[in-house]
Amino acid sequence: MGSLARITGCGMSDELVVAHGLRKGYGAGERRVEVLWGLDLAVAHGEMLAVVGPSGVGKSTLLHLLGLLDRPDAGELRLFGIDVAALSVDERARWRNRRIGFVFQFHALLPEFTLEENVAMPLLIAGEGHSTAFAAAAELIEEVGLGPRRSHFPDELSGGEQQRGSVARALVAKPELLLADEPTGNLDATNAEHLFGVLRQLHLSRRLTSVIVTHNEALAGRCGRTLRLTGATVEEACSKT
Amino acid sequence: MRSVLGFVAGRYLLGLRRRTHVAAVSAISFGAMALGAAALVVTLALLEGFQSTIRAQLAEAGTHAELRPRVGRALPEGDWLARLRKRHPELEVRASAGGAVWCLGPDGAVPAELEAVDTLSRIEVNRVLAARLGVGAGSEITIASPRLVLTPLGPVPTRRRVVVGIVNPVQPGDDRAVVFAPVSVGAALLDLGAPRRVVLRAKDPRQAWRVASVVQGEVPEGVEVVSFAALNRPLLAALALERAMIGFGVALVMVVAALNLLCNLALLAAEKRADVALLTALGMTPSRVRRLFLLLGLGVGALGGVLGTALGGVAAEVLDRTHALPLPRGVFIVSHVPFRVTPASVAIVLTVSLVAALLASIAPARAASRRDVLEGLRYE
Ligand SMILES: Nc1ncnc2c1ncn2[C@@H]1O[C@H](COP(=O)(O)OP(=O)(O)OP(=O)(O)O)[C@@H](O)[C@H]1O
Ligand SMILES: [Mg+2]
Repeated sequence: MGSLARITGCGMSDELVVAHGLRKGYGAGERRVEVLWGLDLAVAHGEMLAVVGPSGVGKSTLLHLLGLLDRPDAGELRLFGIDVAALSVDERARWRNRRIGFVFQFHALLPEFTLEENVAMPLLIAGEGHSTAFAAAAELIEEVGLGPRRSHFPDELSGGEQQRGSVARALVAKPELLLADEPTGNLDATNAEHLFGVLRQLHLSRRLTSVIVTHNEALAGRCGRTLRLTGATVEEACSKT
Repeated sequence: MRSVLGFVAGRYLLGLRRRTHVAAVSAISFGAMALGAAALVVTLALLEGFQSTIRAQLAEAGTHAELRPRVGRALPEGDWLARLRKRHPELEVRASAGGAVWCLGPDGAVPAELEAVDTLSRIEVNRVLAARLGVGAGSEITIASPRLVLTPLGPVPTRRRVVVGIVNPVQPGDDRAVVFAPVSVGAALLDLGAPRRVVLRAKDPRQAWRVASVVQGEVPEGVEVVSFAALNRPLLAALALERAMIGFGVALVMVVAALNLLCNLALLAAEKRADVALLTALGMTPSRVRRLFLLLGLGVGALGGVLGTALGGVAAEVLDRTHALPLPRGVFIVSHVPFRVTPASVAIVLTVSLVAALLASIAPARAASRRDVLEGLRYE
């Protein structure tokens, strides 16, 4: 299993994410699985990239590498023009906190904190005062349409609402890069549509660069570009938005 | 920077919602630490209560300081002793000289030490001598000195018949037979010379510990001042040892409580695995994750320790004030079990509980901060 890529983007320059020959596998010895086999990737400023592909092909793996949650086995990854291999553990943590927003595939919110507290958490971790953090959180919660549910706990929210809360949290610290791992994965069509609408709108209004992993071809088609990971090769398609 | 750790730790400990068993489990740890601290405070207060009674008794009965020659058998000559008496009216100063004599009583002849004391006006024997001679207050005894007098019958020892005025108690472990006599009696029996020993007592027994340091600067070069502590070293050392050993034994309760805390923190860390992974993903550094768990451990352990110390201190005070625990009359020198809470013992208990909580938190905190983020995110 592997993906050999020859991705250069669709005629855009000024790239926020550049990867060269990214390799990643798991395990050792007989149990070794190679997932990414030298992937090349470039995502331009302001671009909205959809990543699609069959389950197990390595979409989450790629996103974790881009989100500094994991390290590649080989290859180079530059974010914001800087080689991330040079970053210390604390700098990686600071980037995850401030420069990268991540919407997780599973386990979105901390169960013992209200929606508001969950959304404010990145700012609290950054050392912001409670009032600033909660004001910013309230604003984003309003933007994703959850105003009235602000002080509810995650288990009192529907899947779609939780996911929108997740999006709000990913963006509260005003990152430049948004990474979303199947944000609509567990949602019905209407809710998926709603969430995607929210994402798109925020992407545009906040001039984000976004990478969105999805199984939903229709939604992928509405992103600027689609990266298609298959077992062996990577195809790409550009669409006009 | 501190506040987010406090915020998260507080929420975990209070467990406002769901997962209340973590809150219950941390409450148990909290209670265990509090109980351990309370037990330690009460025990130390009890020991201090008994021991201070014993020390007070010792000061009441015994010598508070002694002056001895550094070399030779006699103290230096001079008027320093007179000056000492004049300058310290609050002290009883007994200078004595003496030597070996024989005492004869109803039960036979016993070798004894004679001490001629300048402030004495009657004969005193100590309990050892009284027992060996079979005499009590009011009995008649004969003191014979080794000094020979030539008589028509040849050389015979000098003798004096005297009446025992009082029988003195002896210090534990002292088995010398001693007879105390006024200087006039002593001089008739022995060549007294300069005093060999000066015994000091403060009129207020509570001052016993200070007497040696008070007179230290006022005695001549060749005089050694033996303090109350040095005079009673074996007993005081035994008391200190008792306190240390019992304190140590009861402190093991704190170790058990700390182990319980360790288990609960490990449980908490396992249960919050997904949360920790998420917090790390959101930018919390591993070192702050470690501090989060240290804070949780200290929160439970130190607060428990403080609460337990306070409760134990109050309980000991109340037991002491209300005389809640009576002792059989005539067996002990006190009528109720005494408790005394000292600042030192409070400081010891607080330190022990803080250190125990910290030591118990280190391992779970390290483990929590070293977990793999992705594994934690996948874990549900
Ligand atoms: N920690 C791990 N240890 C071993 N194998 C792993 C590990 N994580 C992922 N894999 C394997 O790597 C491959 C890619 O996983 P990944 O989660 O990236 O797939 P995906 O494309 O996101 O799939 P899905 O659409 O189901 O989310 C899979 O075969 C998976 O089994
Ligand atoms: Mg995935």
